[in-house]
Amino acid sequence: MMKKSVKENILTAVKYIVLIGFAALCLFPMVWLFLSSFKSNTELFENPWGLPAAMQFDNYIQAIVEGKIFLYFGNSVIIAFTTVVVAVILSSMVSYAITRMDWKLSRMTLNIFLLGMMIPVYAMIVPLFTMFSKTGLLNTHAAVILPQIAVSFPMAIFILTGFMGSIPRELEEAAVIDGCSIYQIFFKVIVPISKSSLVTVAVVNFINVWNDLLLPQIFLTDSSKMTLPVGLTEFQGQYATNYVVEIAAVIITIIPSIIVYIWLHRNIMEGMVAGAVKG
Amino acid sequence: MKKIFGNKKSIAVFVLPAFIIYSVFVLFPIGYNIYVSLLRTDLMSPGRFIGLKNYENLLKDKVFVKALGNNVLMVIGSLIAHLPLALLFGNILFQKVKGSHFFQTVFFLPSVICGVAVGMTWTFIYNSEFGLLNKILSAIGRGDLQSAWLADKNTALLCIVFVVMWQFVGYHMVIQLAAMKNISPSYYEAAEIDGAGKWKQFTSITLPLIKPILKVDAVLIITGALKYYDLVAVMTGGGPNHASELMSTYMFYQGFRTLKYGYSAAIGVVLLLLCICSVALSNFVFGKEQADY
Repeated sequence: MMKKSVKENILTAVKYIVLIGFAALCLFPMVWLFLSSFKSNTELFENPWGLPAAMQFDNYIQAIVEGKIFLYFGNSVIIAFTTVVVAVILSSMVSYAITRMDWKLSRMTLNIFLLGMMIPVYAMIVPLFTMFSKTGLLNTHAAVILPQIAVSFPMAIFILTGFMGSIPRELEEAAVIDGCSIYQIFFKVIVPISKSSLVTVAVVNFINVWNDLLLPQIFLTDSSKMTLPVGLTEFQGQYATNYVVEIAAVIITIIPSIIVYIWLHRNIMEGMVAGAVKG
Repeated sequence: MKKIFGNKKSIAVFVLPAFIIYSVFVLFPIGYNIYVSLLRTDLMSPGRFIGLKNYENLLKDKVFVKALGNNVLMVIGSLIAHLPLALLFGNILFQKVKGSHFFQTVFFLPSVICGVAVGMTWTFIYNSEFGLLNKILSAIGRGDLQSAWLADKNTALLCIVFVVMWQFVGYHMVIQLAAMKNISPSYYEAAEIDGAGKWKQFTSITLPLIKPILKVDAVLIITGALKYYDLVAVMTGGGPNHASELMSTYMFYQGFRTLKYGYSAAIGVVLLLLCICSVALSNFVFGKEQADY
């Protein structure tokens, strides 16, 4: 009896060592980056491990004033916000029609949307580039927003049809008896009870759009239009040896994602793995 | 009732806006891309139809073949980290560990961080002058192993593969853990009574019951590894001398740096086919199974 508990204790200890070790490996690069963002370049070279000698914000000031990081930040906010709002509204409307309304092609429409989950964006970028350059949309935010909305549909519709399919019929029937139109049913009955799924779709979409490099890199050439990820790659060239300013810019980029993650991590984890777990 | 839920006009109002956007910006470009891949074009002057010549050239293109090989290496690295390693973490957290939710949240965190920021962070860690990796090596007395990790053609790709492994372990672990939590506890209770050990329980209950999810996850891992772009674009730009080039970065280079759009479109078609094939292949290997219990 005694022997077994010793063995179990060792096993438990090993488990925690593995878990804590990997947790440290996950957090360490970000903590190190955060501390380094307050150092000067000489300090970074001489003392890469330790705490910064003083809390000085010079790097942030330089990234904001000279590096125009707030300009990129603003562009990212405009693009992410517009994409998320439009994508959530449109995908919830389609999902409602697919799960709750009677029409012959609903199953096929769903399948056409879901097919998009396995299509890599690389199979579309050359034609999109042609389309945007012919219509003069190249180098406008719309050139990033429109394809981002379109590629967000498959996952959004997948999650939302899953949820809306499970709403009891009675709620809508009661609303019909009360004399609601279909639009009132959708906005006053369905949207409020789907809130949690809608938040999930919105945050996952936000993270994807906020982090994306490829589309803005191709469709936005003017530096005044660029988003943060593209702006960061510009920084790499511009401040090639001024590492601490680059580090400050990286911190500014990841802070919104981390805040949203701390706030809504349950929705994010649920939404990002939904495709695999329910598929 | 029927009248309200079957009204053609309101169905159109609900469906058409999204469907039109989806058709114009996803479905149409895919078809058009296949057509462009049969042309020699710079998009400014009218293209010339050259049949499958772009694809023939791809096979003869040493850099493309190298990029394809690198993607295969990426797939293998991802499979190692994101199946056995993620399963190990997932299984530990499945055994009622204190702070299980905290560990999940922390492990998952890197996968929500911008790929460009992750790439730059690791570029600093691999940096030859102040990078932590070299500092660690000299601290443990193996200063002779110090290197300019990302500038060396032998190590550049491996360093990036390591970052991919690091970044997405938690993501796949959460998928697998969610599957484990769907298993009815009564199986484990029965196994305890029969005296089956933890390992036996894992191999004869957990593993077979989460197999359908592992299949889906394997597809995600493979297609994900075919689609990586940000990390390579930021950390090495495909260099040195194309040593860490992936199909995605090479496509960007051919299309938007040397303006060979037809050639670039052909790489896009190859990527599309590989993604479809990996879905089909996994259905073939694992068999079509229902993912519910």
